[in-house]
Amino acid sequence: MIQFLNVTKRYPGGFEALNNVSLNLPDGEMAFLTGHSGAGKSTMLKIISLIEKPTRGQAILNQINLNTLPNRRIPYIRRNIGIIFQDHQLLFDRSVFDNVAMPLIIQGYNPREMAKRTRAALDKVGLLHKEKSMPITLSGGEQQRVGIARAVVHKPMLLLADEPTGNLDPVLSREIMQIFVDFHQVGVTVLVASHDLNLIEELQKPVVTLNRGKIIHNDLESVNG
Amino acid sequence: MADNTHQQRPNFIGRFTAWLMHHLQSMVFSIGKIYRSPSATLMTITVIGITLTLPGGFYLLMKNIENISGDLRSSTQITLYLDLGLSEEQARIFNQQLDTNPHIDHTQFLSRTQALDEFRQSSGFGKTLDQLESNPLPHTIIVQPTFELDTLTLKTLLIKLEAEPQVDLAKLDTEWLERLYTLIEIAKRSVIIVSILFSFAVLLIIGNTIRLDIQNRYQEIIVTKLIGATDAFIRRPFLYGGIWYGLFGGILAWLIVELSVIALTGPFNTLNMLYKAEFQLISFTFLDFLILVASSTLLGLAGSWLAVARHLNEIEPK
Repeated sequence: MIQFLNVTKRYPGGFEALNNVSLNLPDGEMAFLTGHSGAGKSTMLKIISLIEKPTRGQAILNQINLNTLPNRRIPYIRRNIGIIFQDHQLLFDRSVFDNVAMPLIIQGYNPREMAKRTRAALDKVGLLHKEKSMPITLSGGEQQRVGIARAVVHKPMLLLADEPTGNLDPVLSREIMQIFVDFHQVGVTVLVASHDLNLIEELQKPVVTLNRGKIIHNDLESVNG
Repeated sequence: MADNTHQQRPNFIGRFTAWLMHHLQSMVFSIGKIYRSPSATLMTITVIGITLTLPGGFYLLMKNIENISGDLRSSTQITLYLDLGLSEEQARIFNQQLDTNPHIDHTQFLSRTQALDEFRQSSGFGKTLDQLESNPLPHTIIVQPTFELDTLTLKTLLIKLEAEPQVDLAKLDTEWLERLYTLIEIAKRSVIIVSILFSFAVLLIIGNTIRLDIQNRYQEIIVTKLIGATDAFIRRPFLYGGIWYGLFGGILAWLIVELSVIALTGPFNTLNMLYKAEFQLISFTFLDFLILVASSTLLGLAGSWLAVARHLNEIEPK
């Protein structure tokens, strides 16, 4: 699903966020990306979600080379990815339902199908009863779950999460991580950036550790054989 | 990604319907935004309306001046003084020929005797005239050209009439008319210049409003980009916003001008009475209204397009 071949990312100003990183996340796999802040986790996710382009090396997403992808095709690639942000990025001027339905509206689903899928996604994160609420009235954990519902509502093949439990207490964090595990079990490829090492250890999934832009530990190599 | 195995994406017809739906949604959404923040929107629309009132009002002023000057032109007459050697019968035949000219509405024949009588009565030189051996006045024809003649055709007609062998002298007082038309021409051009300037102002007003709108919805734009919205999708509500501003601004401008016309009708009629004239104060025709509203709507679209093209691409997820 995701292949990085000697990827280097240098930001304007000279800061090198990734240094010669190679990685292979197979279809249907779930892995954690860990490391200190500034180690390059977010940069990796940004390259995969087409927010940044590698300075050197190849980033490949489902056989598509992201380096050479023309800008006008970016939206269509992103429709296959569900992104979950630490600060969940909900829009506070519309209801929970409308937030979750956004990817479906963009992709042109008919209203009936849209409502069905939106409710299914909300049900999956246990918030169906809050569909008419405004996001501002929800707790932090609930807001994050709405963010997850929005990321999965269009059934993406790949789920990316950047510190999804960063602002949550341990119990809520475990709940959120369990949702990701559930998606992984139905065949979705999942990559979660997190520094919650205790929780990661509990879940027993492959871990990739970054330090100063280099991979210093990679469970995926053994997975790939 | 080519692999859509575990996804059932809408087919082409579905997407087309969705595209139409989104246009509709964007339209309704941008209207809804106007409804939700009425005071801010009202101010923008008022500014646009007032700005467009100037070119609209000038245009109407021009139309009225032209209308009135058209009426004045109808009072333009050519006086033909015929050759003194012409008998009355010959003169009347010539007069009948003139009546068939398509540029001439009607004529009035004044024989030498009638002319002398008239002169005698109006001048008070009766006795002096009686001492004259012969009547010094020629037969006279007063020609009323058709109303819709422009200055050039009028002049051609004058030259043609003067060239007739029966005519000794043809007289048309065109000087003041020419001055008037030159003034109208200058005013017309001023209206065009004012229209261009104020259209440009409207373009900038709408462009700036949409720019602020884009900035206010920065977050939403980022999020929709990240979940795969195309630029066209993101652009749409803003473009419709510009269209609404232009449309309502245009309608408001029309309303202001119409109300001004109504307000001016009273004094105008008084003026008519004082001058014993029957001028009509004309207002926008339906076509004028359509042109005004259509062009302001187009300006709205163009203004928002400019803003969107400049500022939407600057917003990219970081």
